[in-house]
Amino acid sequence: MIILENVSKIYKNGTKALNDFSLEIQDGEFVYIIGETGSGKSTLIKLLNGEEIPTKGRVIVNGTNVGRLRFGKVPLYRRKIGVVFQDYQLLKKKTVYDNIAFALEVINKPKEEVRNRVKEVLGIIDLANEFNSYPTQLSGGQQQRVVIGRAIANSPSILICDEPTGNLDPRHSKEIIELLEKINKSGTTVIVVTHDYVLVDTYKKRTILLDNGSIISDNPEGGYVHV
Amino acid sequence: MFRRIGRAFKEAWWGIRHHFAMVSSTAVTITITLVLLSVLSLLIANINQITYDVEEEIQVFVKIDKDVEEKDIDALKTKVGRIAGVSEVVYSDADSELTYFIEQYGEAGKIFEIYRNDNPLSRAFIISVATGFSISEVSKQIELIDGISEVNFGGATIEDFINLLDGTRRVGLIFTASLALLAIYLIYNTIKITIHSRREEIGIMRLVGATNSYIRVPLVLEGIFIGILGSIFPCLLTIFGYKYIYEVMNGQLVSGILKLIDVFPFTLYVSGFVMIVGIFVGWIGSWLSASRSLRWKR
Repeated sequence: MIILENVSKIYKNGTKALNDFSLEIQDGEFVYIIGETGSGKSTLIKLLNGEEIPTKGRVIVNGTNVGRLRFGKVPLYRRKIGVVFQDYQLLKKKTVYDNIAFALEVINKPKEEVRNRVKEVLGIIDLANEFNSYPTQLSGGQQQRVVIGRAIANSPSILICDEPTGNLDPRHSKEIIELLEKINKSGTTVIVVTHDYVLVDTYKKRTILLDNGSIISDNPEGGYVHV
Repeated sequence: MFRRIGRAFKEAWWGIRHHFAMVSSTAVTITITLVLLSVLSLLIANINQITYDVEEEIQVFVKIDKDVEEKDIDALKTKVGRIAGVSEVVYSDADSELTYFIEQYGEAGKIFEIYRNDNPLSRAFIISVATGFSISEVSKQIELIDGISEVNFGGATIEDFINLLDGTRRVGLIFTASLALLAIYLIYNTIKITIHSRREEIGIMRLVGATNSYIRVPLVLEGIFIGILGSIFPCLLTIFGYKYIYEVMNGQLVSGILKLIDVFPFTLYVSGFVMIVGIFVGWIGSWLSASRSLRWKR
């Protein structure tokens, strides 16, 4: 469960990113966060990821007060959440298999466990046949699926996706959202930050609209709400 | 644990292979630095040895006043022996002095035998000093003692020579330390560039929860590898280069008094030292660079 209580975030340069922001996301939910550039979406991801600490208020993820985590504990916390960015961030010199395995190897998972889990993940993202391909040999949609595969490799309870379809055409965007739905159905909380209102309207999920660091609307029915 | 160590070695080796040009240029620079370090170490060690040999050879010649009676010689010897810096006092009577004088001239010296019964030479103390540096001060103090007519230790020349050797040693040490700092700086920058070129990978590691030490260890190992790579040639040069010079110079410098240190085990110690310095600069340079560049950003 994710709880943000009266969270404000003011950067050192004086930029107010979030303003007395409160939000609750239940386990297993699928949530869209939408809003214009500068509305506070990226800051929200950074707070959830432990990359930033709130100036005021509390960010609690699965019972952990993220803002009060000691530096040494942040990596351990990050193992419990998966993050996907718009730019694919894949290691070009590693194969699809190695890119996914990388997420498990850096946290010292045993070889056998890595092998089994990567096989499983390749099945989930439907890229079992491409396991030996390099990222440059894949389409944008396939690359994004590998990134999602890497993010879920460690079976996180929360998956945060920042504009996962930003660089994709509608067909590939649809594939990605369907993959995220599949992951969500297995019990993972999925948070998708997006500008793609068509997608939001097509695959209706709880939708939170941000503006100037505040929640303008929180529509549990889903769909883009014009305010 | 072993898997982790194995992984760190694998990653470090991967880093070296994938940034081979950069690693090579740094290793070459380290090699040049360590060659200079090796030359300086060989030079300093030999200077130390020569200084020691010269100091061993230095003796102060003290003439005893003719008025001093034979029974007072022992007391005078004790007085001289008590002066700080004096390590040994040997008494030489006038007869022994004449014998020594005659021996110095070989066959031709026998002509001076006519003075055997009317010896004009003074009795003397031959004094060894603890270190070459106290020789001037020791001589001055001996001169002040009643019953001493003249003190001779070879003058300022010997002292200047010792000071020259000492100065060379000091300059060499400062120069060596500066080179070591330069090598650390070079490794520091190489690892910084490595980190920059691997920033995507490091970013992903952080994203998926790798700890800072997990990211840092291969980078530090890479620095140590570069240090070892850079020290191979200087180590070989130390052994074979010094062996060659030693053989060409017949194991001595200028004369038989100034002997060079034997090739073995001396060169093994120096090359071991050079290798350790290579590893150390590799370690410290990469550790500083990795710690600074990977300073934890949340």
